[in-house]
Amino acid sequence: MSDKTIWDKLQNVDRRVFYWILFVGLAVPFMFPLGLPVAVTPPTQGLYDGLRKLQAGDVVVLSINSGVSAWGDCLPAMVASVTQVLRQDAKLVIWSIGYVDCDITYREIVNRVPEFKSKTYGMDWVYFGYCPGQESNAALLRDNIRGVYTKDIQGTPTDNVPMMKNINGAKDIAMVLTSDTGDVQTYYRQQWGPTKSSRDNFGAVKYPVAEIGIAMNLSGDMSFFLSGDLFGLTGGSRGGAELEKLVGIKGDGTITMDSINVSHLLVIGAIVLANVGYLLTRGKK
Amino acid sequence: MSEIYKKELVFLVTGIVTIVMILDYFFVFSPVKDLATQLRTWALVIQLMAIGLGAINLVRVHYRNIQKRTQTWIYSAWFMVIFALLLVLALMKISQGGQEYWLYTWFFTYPYTSLGATLYAITGFYIFSAAYRAFRARNIEAAILLVAGIFVMLANAPIGEVITPWFPLIGNWCNSVGQIPGMRTFAIVGAFGLLALGLRTLLGKERGFYSEVA
Repeated sequence: MSDKTIWDKLQNVDRRVFYWILFVGLAVPFMFPLGLPVAVTPPTQGLYDGLRKLQAGDVVVLSINSGVSAWGDCLPAMVASVTQVLRQDAKLVIWSIGYVDCDITYREIVNRVPEFKSKTYGMDWVYFGYCPGQESNAALLRDNIRGVYTKDIQGTPTDNVPMMKNINGAKDIAMVLTSDTGDVQTYYRQQWGPTKSSRDNFGAVKYPVAEIGIAMNLSGDMSFFLSGDLFGLTGGSRGGAELEKLVGIKGDGTITMDSINVSHLLVIGAIVLANVGYLLTRGKK
Repeated sequence: MSEIYKKELVFLVTGIVTIVMILDYFFVFSPVKDLATQLRTWALVIQLMAIGLGAINLVRVHYRNIQKRTQTWIYSAWFMVIFALLLVLALMKISQGGQEYWLYTWFFTYPYTSLGATLYAITGFYIFSAAYRAFRARNIEAAILLVAGIFVMLANAPIGEVITPWFPLIGNWCNSVGQIPGMRTFAIVGAFGLLALGLRTLLGKERGFYSEVA
């Protein structure tokens, strides 16, 4: 007869057991939502406050630098931000210097934001698509948008897009919202900083750049928010849920919060269980 | 062109580009700005060419795999099929003046989006399993890391603040105070390291990529 205790056995549970536990754990809240309240954290509040300061006619750049794989993390906050931008009657310039699949994300944003229906393409918003180049491209766009994008995604020459008439660089842009799975916000901070922009609509805000990032990057980006280099920041679907709450919409961020609750509790439970087992069986090894 | 001349040319180009970019970043001087913009445009063109080169290289690598019947040749064959299909669809889209082409859009909207989301979501399952197997409080440092991690997780999940307001309080403190000195130290030390690397490259002491050229 085996002298293995339950704790010994628990140390060697097949990983597929965990996969199934998590799968069921994530599925249940979609059928029986908990709807727990979400408190708003200062970085998200900073982003919302920045958006609220926009005046009618101000131009906002949305730089889609996250792929479809990061929709769970970035899309809710992008949708909420764009909703607020359009509600402020600001104009929107959308492009990507980070991900080639930005067209799908752009289409999804347009589908999900009802405010687009009362706006006119070319007058209120324009989409330019993807152009590689990372930081050197961010610097080029700062000085001369037409140098990078000679036409929009529909093939209309940039000069013929009505809203682009007086827009050709950072000096004409009120703020940049960059959705990001990596370092692209760094490029905008470095290249679109106050020394390069002749306009500061945001008073105490040093850099008119906000980050819509994945949860994993939140800790790294936090130091830039606290130093004022980013005027706002959302991390993952939690950040999206907070922004949705502020903007007053119920989107994917709010919906996935229940799954975030369950998955986080399961991971914590697993860590505690594993460590109890480890402490009880440590002496035997 | 001799080997020495090749190296000198690389030194010269790197040096000139670096100096122009530094001057453009720190000073407002129109001729330098124009030159820097020109160089950045070249960089953009080179990157666009690199994407094309990357595609050609991928085809070469996978073609070789198929030819040699390596263990994973079947995946290489699948890559070639999808590559050719998307290439044809993209060319058809271009032939229509860049307008929406339903099959091209369908490929990106359905298979690509679902696969991308699945790939990203799978990491959650790995993390759950790995958390159970790897996160052990083997020493005091590991124990601190574990406890801090649990607080940060409970701050991120709304249920944390339902259990007790202390969880978000401590978790957010870890995020906005506790980890900041370390993160900033990494950033500043990294920046100094980058400066040192740039200086060494300019002085010709960093020869890593020069030797690649030679």
